[in-house]
Amino acid sequence: MKLESFTKKVSHEFPQNHIQSRFLTRPKVQENLFAYLMLAPDLIGLAVFIFLPIVIAFYVSLHDWNALEPMQFVGLKNYWTLSGDLDWWVSLRTTALYSLMFVPLVYGISLLLAVFIHSIPGKFQEFIRTVNFMPFSVSTVVAGIIWMFMFEEQRGMVNGAIKLLGLPAQTFLGDPDQALICIALVSAWMVIGYYTVLFLAALKDIPVSYYEAARLDGANVLTIFKNITLPLLKETSTFVLIVTTIASFQVFDQIKIMTNGGPADATNVSVFYIYRQCFEYMKLGYASALAFVLFMIIFALSLAQLKLMRSGNTDSKI
Amino acid sequence: MRKRVWRLLGLLAVLTLLAGVCTAGAQEKTRIKFWTFHSNYEKEFMISLGQEYMKVNPNVEIVYENIPESEYMGAKLTTAFAANSGPDVFVISPGDFLKYANSGLALDLTPYFTDKIRADFLKSSLDAVTVKGKIYAIPFEVELLGLYYNKDMLAKANVAPPKTWQELIGATKKLKTDQVAGLVIEPQRGYYQNFTWYPFLWQGGGTVINVQTKKSAFKGRAVENALKLWADLIKAGAPSKLAKGTWEPFIGDGSAAMQICGTWIIARLEKDFADKNIGLVPLPTPPGGKAATDAGGWKFMVNGKSKNADAAAKFAMWALAENVNLPLKWCTEVKFAYSPRKSVVQAGAAIYGKGLRKVFTDQIYETAIGEPRYPAEIVGFVGDALQEVMFKNVAPRQAAQKADQKIKQFLKDFKGSM
Repeated sequence: MKLESFTKKVSHEFPQNHIQSRFLTRPKVQENLFAYLMLAPDLIGLAVFIFLPIVIAFYVSLHDWNALEPMQFVGLKNYWTLSGDLDWWVSLRTTALYSLMFVPLVYGISLLLAVFIHSIPGKFQEFIRTVNFMPFSVSTVVAGIIWMFMFEEQRGMVNGAIKLLGLPAQTFLGDPDQALICIALVSAWMVIGYYTVLFLAALKDIPVSYYEAARLDGANVLTIFKNITLPLLKETSTFVLIVTTIASFQVFDQIKIMTNGGPADATNVSVFYIYRQCFEYMKLGYASALAFVLFMIIFALSLAQLKLMRSGNTDSKI
Repeated sequence: MRKRVWRLLGLLAVLTLLAGVCTAGAQEKTRIKFWTFHSNYEKEFMISLGQEYMKVNPNVEIVYENIPESEYMGAKLTTAFAANSGPDVFVISPGDFLKYANSGLALDLTPYFTDKIRADFLKSSLDAVTVKGKIYAIPFEVELLGLYYNKDMLAKANVAPPKTWQELIGATKKLKTDQVAGLVIEPQRGYYQNFTWYPFLWQGGGTVINVQTKKSAFKGRAVENALKLWADLIKAGAPSKLAKGTWEPFIGDGSAAMQICGTWIIARLEKDFADKNIGLVPLPTPPGGKAATDAGGWKFMVNGKSKNADAAAKFAMWALAENVNLPLKWCTEVKFAYSPRKSVVQAGAAIYGKGLRKVFTDQIYETAIGEPRYPAEIVGFVGDALQEVMFKNVAPRQAAQKADQKIKQFLKDFKGSM
């Protein structure tokens, strides 16, 4: 039943004044109070660990602070400085590049894997699903270290395989043209299992009758994927694209472990740049201004993405 | 009668409370938080420092905390001090020394350095921790760099240990195989890369900042040649990325034929790779250049904002400036480094001529120049120049000019001491 008709039915059966009077009754108040009480731990958590740090970061960004001496208020000076900081803009470009590699890679592969796994019948599907999910349970630090060894030029397994194919060995993390790609691949390897599970859950919600009808009409696999699967996964796709975009702008751990921003700043993404300003140069005020600007960028990007996906989402209602 | 009983009970309660407070006061120990990043034998030694001190000072409790190196050098110290929960005693590198000395966090240790103690330290070592006449840290090791090589690998390839830059480039090329790196140098930007590169800059007469004028000197042939050398070494096959830090003994596990590394790996080579035939020579020099090596080493610093600053200073001074056996153990058993104290060097005289140490003592020690303590920004500008030349094919002159401009700009606004 559609939401509008349900609302009309409810309004008809329960006149407005009746609803209001019921709302004000004691049990209703108690019910609301109970609901807020249940939500309180989450709300407090959000306030303390999300909103408060954002407010504090903004406050610190208005100061000069090296963590060892008292803060000095400088107004918007840090924001003015960052507008002319060429290295910051370069780091943003590097982040955007990384995002352009990471997001499509994760989205595309996890979607295709989900469709593939969904088509596997019986217990074997569970096995494949588990194997596919395993990298997600590995910590970033461990994954970073493992892949750093795998990518080693002389003794790394990846080059071992390449050499077996008769191809020349690569420097991977030691090459400014390859390092960011390697980081994107490792990051994607780590999270693809998780997003595959999300797509799998959404795929299970699509009625089998749609596929049967399409097959009866003579549609091939690609047509079915394009006209049934993809449109019906639009909400999951929106979520995956927004979350992976945010994650791509927050990438740090892998870079800190695997390349430390190098070689020649090829992997010096925005968060790493902020880290460097904060902990290498101890410019905590400036780093906070950079972090706040990055937060605004991610926020704006997510809103734009959400709006874009919603504008093309009207047909997805069933 | 009942009143009396109550009074008596009240008196007893007060007395018990007072006794409790007094006992607690007598038992309360001064807690000193001591942080380092060491591992294996070095960590054990650091723990033993606290244990030994507590034996002779039962009223002091040394709480040692070990932090993984990458964290320690990164966020840990900064965030701890920002949150007013920093350690009382901690180790600091020359690269970070100025940050803490200029901020006023480091305790002025000058009053603890008696004339006798001062006379025991090498003047250059004390100068390295002195700002405006005040001593802000205790140096406890002098680590030098040299070129280690695998004698068997070089003999097999018919390569003599390199003495010049050209020979070093040639040997790097010739010794490289599918499984073995011809030479290991530090490819990653940071303090350590600069530390290992400075000797090559100095060999040609170059420097980063003119000590007298406090102005940028990062230009000219010596700078360009030293930058070019490291680019040439990467082109010759020195790995551009390694999974382990280049302070680890690659020369021992057989993954490298030559390695530029410090005195510290001698102990590891002797303990873990005694079967390997390892040689050592001074760092190769350019035509017409003079031999030079870097003398680095960590220092102990005391948190001047700590309520136990005095007790912490006394502990640090006892361990490193007064005691002889512990610093000797550190420099000769736990690892190999030169002590900045004459009494310790004298006590371990026999050890400095043992094995590879003899090469350092006889051929390298005299050429040592103290690791500069530039502000982090300057370290970054030099590091950027190196990275651009090594990995982006930027011309050395162009990279040097860019760094020089940045250093000049930075020094214009820099108000701290150097």
